[in-house]
Amino acid sequence: MAYKEMLQIRRDPRSLAIALLMPLMQMAMLGYGVSLDIRHVPLCVYDQENSQQSRAIVDQFISSGWFSISQTLDRQSDIRHAMDRGECVAALVIPADFSRQLATTGSANMQAVFDATDVNTTNIALGYAQGVVAQANAQIAADWNASHGVHPSPVGQIDLEPGTWFNETLDSRNFIIPGVVAVILALVGAQLTSLTISREWERGTMEQLISTPVSALEVMFGKLLPYFAIGLIDAGFCLISAVAWFGIPFRGSIVTLFVTTTLFNVVVLGIGYLISVRIRSQLGASQIALLVTMLPTTLLSGYTFPIDQMPAPIQAISLIVYPRYFVTILRAIFLKGSGLSDLWMPLAGLSCYAVIILWLAARAFRKRLD
Amino acid sequence: MSADAPAILAQALTKKFQSFTAVDHLDLSIAKGEIVGFIGPNGAGKSTTIRMLCGLLRPSEGSAQVAGFDVSSEAEAVREHIGYMSQKFSLYGDLTVRENLRFFGGIYRVARREIDERMKFAISMAGLEGREDRLVRTLAGGWKQRLALGCAILHRPPILFLDEPTSGVEPEARRRFWDLIHEFAADGVTILVSTHYMDEAEYCNRIALIDRGKLIAIGTPSELRAHQLGGELFEVGCAPLGAAMKALSDAPGVVDAAIFGDRLHVVLGAGGLDAADLPGFLGEHGIEVDQVRSVPPSLEDVFVQLVSGSPEERMIP
Amino acid sequence: MFERLSVMLMKEFLELKRDRWAMFRLIVPLIIQMLVFGYAATFTVHHVATSILDLDQSQASRSLISHFVATSRFNVVDVTQNRDDITRDIDQSTATIAIVIHAGFGRTLGNGQSAPLQVIVDGTNSNTALIALGYLSQIVAQFSEDQSSRAANFRADTAVPEIGISLQARPWFNEGLDDRWFFIPGVIGTLTLLQVVSLTAFAIVREREVGTLEQIMVSPIRPVEFILGKTVPFFLIGLGDIALVSAFGIFWFHISFIGNPWIMLLGASLFLLAALGIGLLLSTFSRTQQQAFALNFFFVNPLFILSGFAFPIAAMPKLLQWFTVINPLRYFLVVIRAVFLKGVGFEVLWPDLAAMALLALVMLTVSVLRFRKSLD
Repeated sequence: MAYKEMLQIRRDPRSLAIALLMPLMQMAMLGYGVSLDIRHVPLCVYDQENSQQSRAIVDQFISSGWFSISQTLDRQSDIRHAMDRGECVAALVIPADFSRQLATTGSANMQAVFDATDVNTTNIALGYAQGVVAQANAQIAADWNASHGVHPSPVGQIDLEPGTWFNETLDSRNFIIPGVVAVILALVGAQLTSLTISREWERGTMEQLISTPVSALEVMFGKLLPYFAIGLIDAGFCLISAVAWFGIPFRGSIVTLFVTTTLFNVVVLGIGYLISVRIRSQLGASQIALLVTMLPTTLLSGYTFPIDQMPAPIQAISLIVYPRYFVTILRAIFLKGSGLSDLWMPLAGLSCYAVIILWLAARAFRKRLD
Repeated sequence: MSADAPAILAQALTKKFQSFTAVDHLDLSIAKGEIVGFIGPNGAGKSTTIRMLCGLLRPSEGSAQVAGFDVSSEAEAVREHIGYMSQKFSLYGDLTVRENLRFFGGIYRVARREIDERMKFAISMAGLEGREDRLVRTLAGGWKQRLALGCAILHRPPILFLDEPTSGVEPEARRRFWDLIHEFAADGVTILVSTHYMDEAEYCNRIALIDRGKLIAIGTPSELRAHQLGGELFEVGCAPLGAAMKALSDAPGVVDAAIFGDRLHVVLGAGGLDAADLPGFLGEHGIEVDQVRSVPPSLEDVFVQLVSGSPEERMIP
Repeated sequence: MFERLSVMLMKEFLELKRDRWAMFRLIVPLIIQMLVFGYAATFTVHHVATSILDLDQSQASRSLISHFVATSRFNVVDVTQNRDDITRDIDQSTATIAIVIHAGFGRTLGNGQSAPLQVIVDGTNSNTALIALGYLSQIVAQFSEDQSSRAANFRADTAVPEIGISLQARPWFNEGLDDRWFFIPGVIGTLTLLQVVSLTAFAIVREREVGTLEQIMVSPIRPVEFILGKTVPFFLIGLGDIALVSAFGIFWFHISFIGNPWIMLLGASLFLLAALGIGLLLSTFSRTQQQAFALNFFFVNPLFILSGFAFPIAAMPKLLQWFTVINPLRYFLVVIRAVFLKGVGFEVLWPDLAAMALLALVMLTVSVLRFRKSLD
């Protein structure tokens, strides 16, 4: 049974090529496309004073590497125009009395205007800006104290010593790519399986099979075994490219990875099989299937939007989005080097899923026999 | 189109799908007002030929004119002059009888003042009076099929292509359907109809036999019966049938032997076995014969014999 | 032309009317998704699970801890004196951030020296980590200020003036920095794209499967008439979709809408035409509904990821940035966000509108050209 399926797949090299290349293509697309790292925030500067000191602070923004000056403006209203046209995300407004204030009182105001449409970018850019200003302030305070003979505040400052674990460089790619692998395997795997099996329905060979004394379970396993192998190869491709191409650190054990990937593959194929059996019987169900699979996998699996930040009912819904378990697992294996015992929670979720899906798939098929 | 020009003319019409040749250099000429039956087993190329003639598929080689227009370069003009009914039921199941008719009337731009009369005609033709507002998917097979015909003739096409119109329809409805076809032909409509029911072939003016993409014979039913067999047909009741057929196929003077139901049909040519010799000959092979009688050949006999032999040898001289 | 078109339209609407589930299928998934994704799509960081190792147990350390407890940004899950607890919390993801207050923290601060405060962040989710670190430094700064003002009062000195530049952030267009304002318009565009592309692709492929397409193709109807007849209903449905989910965004999620509804209508129309073009094009490549389904999957996912919906296009490599040029969703997101949040008009948005118009034109033309041939 599985042997026959293998033969069919081999006779159809185009499908095989698609099955193997598609995940890599999606990987390249999503691996590069999904990034939150904002390196050079386009910045407009409206410097009303244009003094040595104001230029110095602007230079500090540039030399930080986080900002690139896109325009120097002459009017307040130009900021609005530049932002409307999307030419800058942030604008720095330095008042006309900037250096005078600084010289007489030791403090001065400076405005940072953000196009806050994209809140995440705004938050990150604001963080960068505060960093630049804090650095500048340290120098200004030291100079002020020295020239005015003021002793440092009697209360000590706190030195923050942040240490980042697991993803030391805070590179969003390290966080997103393992999730991308999970999402691709979920989408492509289910897709290919459902497609190839539905083709069998169309050609009528499935009816032929039903009429033989092969049991529903045998049919199911026979059908799925070769796709299972392809799924594992796909997973191998994606995981290797994550490490070798995108340079994601891999700290876990291959065994853990293999065991979890196998389990996930079972769920994915089961879903694909279920779709193929169901869709055949219901026109229009495919539309719903599309709507209910793609967006949830992207939005509710936690691969971009952290699940723990969602409202409780949405978190509950995300429990049925099976890729979420694998996203968690892959991330933990890659970045934390977790073993099976650390991962018991998502593993239990995935196992429950596997059991339910296989049961449903076997049942759905038997119904078609009637 | 002049009066005596053929309504449908195909010359070396060929359709290849990759390496597979579905229709192979087919020549066909059909005069105005003729009913031509297209007969052949499934996959012989009947539907492909009809689809090419309708301009749905582009011929790989050769050419065809329908109503005087070339099917590949003047497909739109061809479409103005034809009605088409496919083997798959293809009306909108979610629309009522009347809505389907109105839709196809609109698509063919049947004039506004004419449409009501045409719809009334189609409904009465299909015997659907009183069911005008039923959803089409709730209708029985024979009605659906007559309605499909009604949709195909709303715009009074001079040429009708019917691709296995009667498949899956009960015999009573099939007979009624053929009555309708004859009425159209009487009005001068040219009809090319494909079928795999041999008995239906008898209703046609001419029959084109097609097998593996090739036209193997064409003629009136009686012509085909008379000339094609190459001998006289006998029905032989005997047992066991398989052994008898095997013995006879090598015997001298036997043109053909084939199993028909629980009997054997044997065609005897000149200069070999005679009908009277058959019981003796078969007896030598240990086969019991209880009856030998001469029967008039049916088209099925002709077809079976033509398909089993090589087409070149069997063509009408 | 109009006669055939009108019978096509009449037929489409009759079919839609007969399909009792159609309304349900069109509306219910849309609303559910709008609700779920409206709440799910957020980068906001609240209630970061925090573990604190207090080895100092002084008044100062307790005061620092109370600063963390008081804010909703952090959720202190564990205060401990055992170093192993911290490691375990981070390893098992019980906590995202661990703060280590070393022994002598309060004494050092009291002496006017700077005291180290160790922070461990689980960087797995780099975005959360980055933002949480920002909040953390704000809280620590607040704590320092409180401490020094208390010390100043204690000594009855004059308050030490603030030295240095104070940066005043002015987030325009979204003063509350509510990132729902960013995502909801994106969700509106994405849902519409998905709905319209799949509806169109499936509608034509279904006619092909049922056989009615063949029946129509042998008629003298022109491809333009057929395609228009097929698309106009979906265009109207798409406009309805956009209106419905937009209303939902405005009244349920309270997203401000300060722009010109006419610009929105123009943008939505052009976007819908482009989406219809994609659906039609997909349908000319698929023979069966399953194939349409697969194509949908492979094409719509990149369209959605590479639209700037969540991931800034500026952060993508150049090659992918070029690819987004042919993505109508990219332009529509610019338009819909600008209209909702910025209230800008035609004079700013015309390049995006023109790009969508061009894409729509190209895709509709190609699908009309491909349509006739597609039975072969």
